[in-house]
Amino acid sequence: MLTKILAAASLLIALGTIAASYSQRSALTLRQATPPTYWPRYGTTLSGQYRGNTWVSLPNRSAYGSFRGGGPSAGK
Amino acid sequence: MPVIHQAQTTSRFVDPWPYLACGTAVLLILAFVSSLFFQKNLKSVKVQATEEEPVELEPVQLNPQPVGALRIDVKASIPDNHWVTYEIQLRDQQDKILTTAIKQSWRESGTWQEEGESGTWQEDDLQGGLDIRAAEQKQERLKIAIAVLEYTDTAGQDVNQPVPFEVSVRSGVVDTRYLWAGLVGTVSLAALSLKAVSAGGTKVIAKTIGDSDVGARATVGGCHKLLQVTVRVTADKNTPHHLTAYLRITNGSGEQIFSRSFLVACNFRKDAEGRIEKATGQLQVFLIVEPPSSYGFHVEITPDGPVDETQLIVQEGVRTLQAVEVMHIHPA
Repeated sequence: MLTKILAAASLLIALGTIAASYSQRSALTLRQATPPTYWPRYGTTLSGQYRGNTWVSLPNRSAYGSFRGGGPSAGK
Repeated sequence: MPVIHQAQTTSRFVDPWPYLACGTAVLLILAFVSSLFFQKNLKSVKVQATEEEPVELEPVQLNPQPVGALRIDVKASIPDNHWVTYEIQLRDQQDKILTTAIKQSWRESGTWQEEGESGTWQEDDLQGGLDIRAAEQKQERLKIAIAVLEYTDTAGQDVNQPVPFEVSVRSGVVDTRYLWAGLVGTVSLAALSLKAVSAGGTKVIAKTIGDSDVGARATVGGCHKLLQVTVRVTADKNTPHHLTAYLRITNGSGEQIFSRSFLVACNFRKDAEGRIEKATGQLQVFLIVEPPSSYGFHVEITPDGPVDETQLIVQEGVRTLQAVEVMHIHPA
């Protein structure tokens, strides 16, 4: 019984993750509101969002100037 | 009462479900491999941009695709101890901004000192990326631009030099991050499932005594119920390489219906200096006993001198991973 449940769970995980990766649900769809499934790659964050189908830059876009690098010395 | 026992190798009790769980892990590996066939390189270029002048690439075609997305990968090449904030911009044919994404990259190095030890470190985070899908069922040409928003050294001083970027654009790219998560999940569940087979069944006897012979009685049996008798022996350093386990089964009225000797190979555990600490051995026997009734299970280990502890476990209704030899005990 336990092995049946484990097999069913692993099948669900396999189908779910394959569907998610092949359908690219983490990608940004042009001219559509950013979906909750959007998942940035390499910490590349969107600097705006769609209002209707127009891209509007975020007001805090100018805040990038506060960036002071990373590394072990950052924030310590 | 005359009793027949015959040994037979059977796959009747093999549990197929762990193999399905392993199959799902294989499915994910296949998904990794097949994802390579969907992607197509559209562009791979080296460009330079300055704070004043963003660089614009040749337009690329974005097609609605059932599989994957258009992937833009950007990698900044900056010297040590520099920071750069850059933006990936997408425009349509009318030069209207479609989307923008910011990446803050850096490359730094230095020295560290801790408790009298020292060394150098170097770290960076230069790679940025954006995955795009077409919304409507139409093709369109996209302009990709890279803009440098800020380029400074670690002191915060502006650097007025162009930043080189490596840009690659591919279509039909599958997001393998989900596949990695799926692979970890299915492999762990498959491992659990393989483990669950040997731990399955109902434990009807579990008895440990600090001696060389152990016995207990339980109501078991039936032609569809596989019994697994496990004997674990712990012995001291004077143990021979093989111990003999003498297994006896008695029926409800105490008559012996089965007896047999098995050789148990011992594993020796050594301490840090290579001296033998203790020896352990394990025996596993599969049985079908008919009819269902009360049966006594007795094990005696010889030689009994070195034996510290003997454990007898009887599980009923077990499943196996592969074909096993089963002793079928039934009345004549």
